[in-house]
Amino acid sequence: MLSVENLHAGYGSSEVLRGTSLHVKQGAVVALIGANGAGKTTTMRAISGMLKPTSGRILLEGRPVQGLPASAIARLGLAHSPEGRKVFGPLSVEDNLLLGAYSRLPKFFGFRSKAAPGLASVYELFPRLHERRKQAAGTLSGGEQQMLAIGRALMASPRIILLDEPSMGLAPVIVLEVFNIIRRLKEAGITLLLVEQFAKSALEVADYAYVMEHGGIAVEGTPDELNQNEKVLAAYLG
Amino acid sequence: MNSIIIVQMAVSGALMGLVYALIAYGFQLTYATSKSINFGQGELVMLSAFFSLTLLDAGLPYWLMVPGGLLFGAMMGLVVERACVRLSLEQKSEGWILLTIIFGLLSFSAAENIWGRDDRPFPSPISADAFNVFGISITPLELSVAIGVFAVMGLIELFKHKTLLGKAFEAVSADRDAAELMGISATRTIMLSFGLSGMVAAMAGILISPITTVGPTMASALILKAFSVAVVAGLDSGFGVVLIGIALGALESLTSFYLGSGWREAPGLILLIMALALRPNGVFGKANIRKV
Repeated sequence: MLSVENLHAGYGSSEVLRGTSLHVKQGAVVALIGANGAGKTTTMRAISGMLKPTSGRILLEGRPVQGLPASAIARLGLAHSPEGRKVFGPLSVEDNLLLGAYSRLPKFFGFRSKAAPGLASVYELFPRLHERRKQAAGTLSGGEQQMLAIGRALMASPRIILLDEPSMGLAPVIVLEVFNIIRRLKEAGITLLLVEQFAKSALEVADYAYVMEHGGIAVEGTPDELNQNEKVLAAYLG
Repeated sequence: MNSIIIVQMAVSGALMGLVYALIAYGFQLTYATSKSINFGQGELVMLSAFFSLTLLDAGLPYWLMVPGGLLFGAMMGLVVERACVRLSLEQKSEGWILLTIIFGLLSFSAAENIWGRDDRPFPSPISADAFNVFGISITPLELSVAIGVFAVMGLIELFKHKTLLGKAFEAVSADRDAAELMGISATRTIMLSFGLSGMVAAMAGILISPITTVGPTMASALILKAFSVAVVAGLDSGFGVVLIGIALGALESLTSFYLGSGWREAPGLILLIMALALRPNGVFGKANIRKV
């Protein structure tokens, strides 16, 4: 589904990613964990085209996408729910969701009826968003904004979703809720690449995980393997 | 009697103010998507007016000239985007300020060379014979300005709120990166905003020219006021520009009536300075509130 091969990327003259490689299989939930500054978010940004990689290859369903603009990669079926959620604050919750499906909807008229089934299933997953559908997205609580960001990514009916730090800045109860949602997405067969600071919770839902260090992959394996790796245990799982 | 004159002056001024508002609205469109402003917008008004006049001279009927002029304005807007704005935005520089000013200067010289330095009358089939409403005389021509301004702004606002493409326009204004992640091309959306802005400028030119005249210098007279209106109302104020435009237009014509026409430019500049000092986001502007 998604293959990243020997990816290099950075900001200006500072190189953050020094040869990162990872693979996500169809229907799998893959977690990317590691310390702050290891390059997790940079990896996500490079995959979705927000940041142009300096070298390396990114294959989405076998098709090279490195260097394409983010909008083109999104149209190929990759939905990135970015760090900090980035909902469209002044727009209503429903407009945010409609924009999530932008690439597959008619641009002028009739987009509402075409988006209706997708909207209904997102509202079923997040009843809270239905209650607040007319409200400006910027006035939602952090947890609700995160639900909106996930819902917006789902609206695209994507082939794969990149979820960057969905638990960032949220209260512990809400974090539990977010992980419940991720579990439900997994049961629905959605392919996920997940970046998380809560390594333990991430490993509970993931099928496979990569541990990043200094812009590269330090360790990889199934959650069981990582749970037995003493180095990983000491550094990330306490 | 005296009060009737005052009201008369205010009404005529307010109509002029609506044209300032329309040009200011053009500023808002490009500012929303690209956070840049075309300082050659006044020259776009002037070029489009001259082009429309040429169409009329070539024998095109008025109602066919209007879409032709609007199309020309939209194309010029795209030229500004490509030539002056895109590269500097890609490099995250403020180069567009100088480049759009240069575009204005070039347009001014080009207009002088192509159409001459003289102000020329702009014929319109709409009657300039005044009729009386409660003692105030209004001409159908003036009324057409008001209708035209509201029609253009109304249509664009309708587009922004009722179509998905319009919502994408607002998404790019709110968060360019996030919009890209939805599959919305920010570059194309910015092109669209410059096209619309150019069209709005052309409409302003076509509406105002029959009342004033067409000449290379019309740009500088309009642009300063329009810029004041845009900043005083706020660069994201939507219809706020209409109220400020009307107020400034009325104030201007009263000032020139009571203090002499030399003072005509004063209210716009004073309002601009006051707004920058007291409310930098504009009277109707939204302050930047960001939840962290």
